[in-house]
Amino acid sequence: MSVHPIAVTINGKAEYLEVPAHMTLLQMLRDRLALTGTKNGCEAGECGACTVLLDGQPVNSCLVLAVEVDGRQVVTVEGLAQDGTLSGLQQAFIEHNAVQCGFCTPGMLISSQALLARNPSPDEDAIKEALLGNLCRCTGYGRIIQAIQDVARGGGAS
Amino acid sequence: MLARPGLPQFEYVRATTSVGVHDLLSTANARLLMGGTDLFTQMRDGVWRPRVVVDVKHIPGMQDITMDPGGLTVGAAVTMNQLARHPAVQRLYPALAQAASSVGSFQLRNRATLGGNLCNASPCADTAPAVAALEAILVLSGPAGQRETPFYDFVLGPGRTVVGTDEFLIGIRFPAQPAGSAGCYLKLGRSRMGDLSVVGVAVVAFRDLAARSGYRFRLALGSVAPVALRVPAAESLLAAEPPHETNLAAAADLAMHAAVPISDVRATAIYQTLMVRTLTLRALESAWAQLQGAGR
Amino acid sequence: MSGLSTVGKSVLRIDAHDKVTGAAVYADDLQFGPGLYYGRLVRSPHAHALIIKVDASRALALPGVKAVVTGRDTPTRIGLYLKDRTIFALDRARMVGDPVAGVVATSEEIAEEAARLVEVKYEELPAVFDPVVAIQPDAPLIHPDLGEYEVVPFIFPQPGTNISEHFKLRRGDVEAAWPRCAAIIEGTFRLPPIQHVPIEPHVAVALWELSGQVSLWTCSQSPFAQRDLIAQSLGIPHGNLRVIAPYVGGGFGGKAGVSMEAAAVAMARAVKGHPVKLRMTREEEFICTTARQSLVANIMIGCDDQANLLAMEVAYYFGGGSSNEYGVNIARAAGYSCTGPYLVPNVKGDSYCVYTNTPIGSAMRGFGMPEIHWGIEQIMDQLAEKVAMDPAEFRRRNCVKTGRTILTGMEMPAIDLVACIDKVTQAIQWEKRPPASAPHKKRGKGLAIMWKAPAMPPNPGSSAMVRFNEDATVNVEIGAQDLGQGAFTVLAQIAAETLGVPYEWVRISVPVDTKYSPYEWQTVASRITWSVGNAVRAAAGDARQKILAVVAEHWHEDPADLDIRDGAVVSFKSEREQPLQNMVVYGLPNDDFEGWKGGPVVGSGKFMPTYVTNLDFETGQGTRAVVHYTVGAQAVDLEVDTETGQVEVLKIASAYDVGKAINPDLVLTQIEGGAVHGLSSAYEAIRLDAQGRPLNANLVDYRIATIADIPREIHGDIVETPLEDGPWGARGVGEHVMVQTAPAIANALYDALGVRFSELPLSAEKIFMALHGS
Repeated sequence: MSVHPIAVTINGKAEYLEVPAHMTLLQMLRDRLALTGTKNGCEAGECGACTVLLDGQPVNSCLVLAVEVDGRQVVTVEGLAQDGTLSGLQQAFIEHNAVQCGFCTPGMLISSQALLARNPSPDEDAIKEALLGNLCRCTGYGRIIQAIQDVARGGGAS
Repeated sequence: MLARPGLPQFEYVRATTSVGVHDLLSTANARLLMGGTDLFTQMRDGVWRPRVVVDVKHIPGMQDITMDPGGLTVGAAVTMNQLARHPAVQRLYPALAQAASSVGSFQLRNRATLGGNLCNASPCADTAPAVAALEAILVLSGPAGQRETPFYDFVLGPGRTVVGTDEFLIGIRFPAQPAGSAGCYLKLGRSRMGDLSVVGVAVVAFRDLAARSGYRFRLALGSVAPVALRVPAAESLLAAEPPHETNLAAAADLAMHAAVPISDVRATAIYQTLMVRTLTLRALESAWAQLQGAGR
Repeated sequence: MSGLSTVGKSVLRIDAHDKVTGAAVYADDLQFGPGLYYGRLVRSPHAHALIIKVDASRALALPGVKAVVTGRDTPTRIGLYLKDRTIFALDRARMVGDPVAGVVATSEEIAEEAARLVEVKYEELPAVFDPVVAIQPDAPLIHPDLGEYEVVPFIFPQPGTNISEHFKLRRGDVEAAWPRCAAIIEGTFRLPPIQHVPIEPHVAVALWELSGQVSLWTCSQSPFAQRDLIAQSLGIPHGNLRVIAPYVGGGFGGKAGVSMEAAAVAMARAVKGHPVKLRMTREEEFICTTARQSLVANIMIGCDDQANLLAMEVAYYFGGGSSNEYGVNIARAAGYSCTGPYLVPNVKGDSYCVYTNTPIGSAMRGFGMPEIHWGIEQIMDQLAEKVAMDPAEFRRRNCVKTGRTILTGMEMPAIDLVACIDKVTQAIQWEKRPPASAPHKKRGKGLAIMWKAPAMPPNPGSSAMVRFNEDATVNVEIGAQDLGQGAFTVLAQIAAETLGVPYEWVRISVPVDTKYSPYEWQTVASRITWSVGNAVRAAAGDARQKILAVVAEHWHEDPADLDIRDGAVVSFKSEREQPLQNMVVYGLPNDDFEGWKGGPVVGSGKFMPTYVTNLDFETGQGTRAVVHYTVGAQAVDLEVDTETGQVEVLKIASAYDVGKAINPDLVLTQIEGGAVHGLSSAYEAIRLDAQGRPLNANLVDYRIATIADIPREIHGDIVETPLEDGPWGARGVGEHVMVQTAPAIANALYDALGVRFSELPLSAEKIFMALHGS
């Protein structure tokens, strides 16, 4: 086992850590930094609950080694609100009742955020393509689609 | 029996040049890391327990897509999303772009790589039929330098390739496509999107005056044989006479007869066999419609 | 609606802000510091085997390993209705994945390595996987000691067999009725085991302190039931065992009762003073926690030429898995509701729970109802066709109606199922059959209706406390859990409405903690809005009365002339107003400050149904079998690709009679999510090989509905026929929303294709093969 020093920016804050080679980014976030908003649902890249932004792109943090993020930018659900103000997506998820048990919600928000960054006005098919890898067992997904469309239309907090 | 939580211990080496990598691979019980999407689950399942994981995606060129008059070169560590969203790949190699975009989920495609998909050599690898139909050349790096191998020689069987213990894949070269080439990749999974393929069909088609029909079709099947399967009989048929309703159906039948799937938890062999016909016909019709559209 | 300020309003979820910011704490998120140990379980690779020897010496020699616990350490049986299992397998493993030992180590990684070093010697036994095979006389006996197990009085195991419960329903005379039937349809219907697949896998952390205090933090629908059962099994005084249940990342019944939590406590006992975390991988979640039972249903139903149902005979064989401690009551519930939502004068029903060497069958959303409706609802369509009646009309004619006597002899409480049928047939445009979108596609519509009663002991209790703070914000203490269904929000609304304070003033005191929270049986059975709602209403009413008494005395008025409106006591008579702020804690001064009156306001309340009666063992007849039923209807519009067998559901329309929607939008979110869960369930199956080993214990090969699989349109309607003893008439709807989706799809497939499917799952392959023969 090798241990590696890394420097990584997480939610805008510089972090310096020593991580074992086999530690995943998910384990680093949850176990080392107590950023527990990112969830562990399968450790196989199938459920999407651990989705974070890596240099702006959504990835399954269970499929990324912590050592790989040296020098890079990570955004987790804890980084979506700015100075205590919810993002448009967070607000829309609340207002559309797009949240039930909440376990998929952090990953859903991250994938949605990334979608709107690359496509500010996605149609329903584009939303489905973007969120295909985020499983939800509660909501039936419809409210999540509505919340994203609301933000895309500029509604957000309406 | 059941997958372990977390990954087993290993050492991590980040390679920024191929120098030294060959030695590691041949002596250290090492596995290559590119996207990790297969490697991590296989390590959790106990398939691999390497002492060293060598991250080769930072070797120059590994993440590059380059176009030149000779064709397209894709670094082995180019991700599925890079490939699927590359304008030139979309335009000139639509079967490849579609195959790449059919893999898993969006966030998975940000990690999964073309090289990983091919080297993992799963019979259901989505990009394999497209790579086969596009007659790609794979570039391997070894201690004595680079060597090239056509894709049709590359995969030996499920999980097995010609890559030597001291070699690794660095790139995939796709020959230049004739102007107005058509292509598509159709995939049937158990759910609408995102599943592994139960059947995958890639078709590449272009005008070719050397063919009696004036057209050349290349057809490759995924998930229905140990390796991605070209169907020469169907290709010959469509080179002999221009496509029409009857010989497209006959070509699809030939594809169906070429398939040698095995039953598993995803589908029975008989269903896969029958679906080869459905998907092949749809893929050929789509490619033919593209060619006709381009001809007008 | 008059006079209600919060109840009936779609206020926003009380938990949503925490959940969108990542602040919501789930069991795996709790921080225990460096003293935390981790556990991993050693599991049987055999479906049925005697355990000859467990040798942990190599595991214990591994640096970092602190203890290995085996069945010898946990010999006292545990179970909700039937104590039929031990926390670790003692002398026999009964399924692949049965926990045989538990390893505790300083890291999960070491625990995992050590678990692989525990050597277990087995002697394999013949295994049985199908409930119909398991009831044969020569089938391997899975629980030879069944006769010794402790069981509740309303469950009837059959020692010497694999039958853990046999419920009998006898009403009228079916033999005499068959000859009078103009149409009779008979069929055998099969459902595979499926899994809940919450996105959060099970996790538990246990701490056994040297003082004997024991704490268990876990994702739980049942903190109090877990306290009770674990305390009994491990000999802990109830008062010493504290179960703390933070947010639950999806339950669906899978986190009801006890599963792996007890193992965490037993392992913590071996390393006193150190918390021990045990979490399931996704793979373990699939086969080592609990599953929905499999079912083989033989169903025969007949009607006269006027389409009146005359007779019904059913035999339900639930494949209960290796332990039926919870599952026995599923078979019972399926027995006393065995007709589905229909009035049938002559009924013979037999419902069996049967041991099989498969994952443990337990509570799952619907609790036996999705299973039995799969066959019943298809046969009703076939009968309608035979007597040439529209299936919707057939159901309107025969479905249960208020005040009519149902199969157990009980009078049907107030519901309006016909209204539900009307709503969904209207929403789906039942009369219209538009063409398919392409020549190779076929389109069809299907309808199914349902009923379900809360399935539970006769007397499950709820309790609640209401405490005021200085600024008149209110803390509501409950032992119920929010699994995502919105319980905390609805209970806050009920408290606000009863107290006369704004919703925003109410806080729910969570996490539920058996040390501080008032008693709750379990968060199951769609009983929370009703049962806990009543308890909260009683507690808030108690607090309200106390406030009014103080103010009335202060004003020298009659409390009957006072009310609390928008956070202030008002008098209708004198038109005076007294804000609640401060007085709810400090009371009010007497005139001229000559002393004080009142003080901190605390209200308490409880609810427990007292009217459920025993059912006769031979006939299943009794005065009141259940507390009530919730009913509903679903209609499906779909299209089939005949060249692949793939189905696209275009629309699902649902309607349920919820009595009173405390929060209408949250009811709709249950209806919408349930429709997709029901749709998904039609395609799901846990697959085992011939040795009982899992073939698809992962999210790749056990697929649940993704965002790409949902219907193009999901429509929901709410019907409100008040329930006599529900808060403002409310009854539950959390489980009902997926009960009849699969048969509605099957009926639509028949409409589209003219082919019937008696067996789930409905894979594209199965549909294609049925269409094109072999």
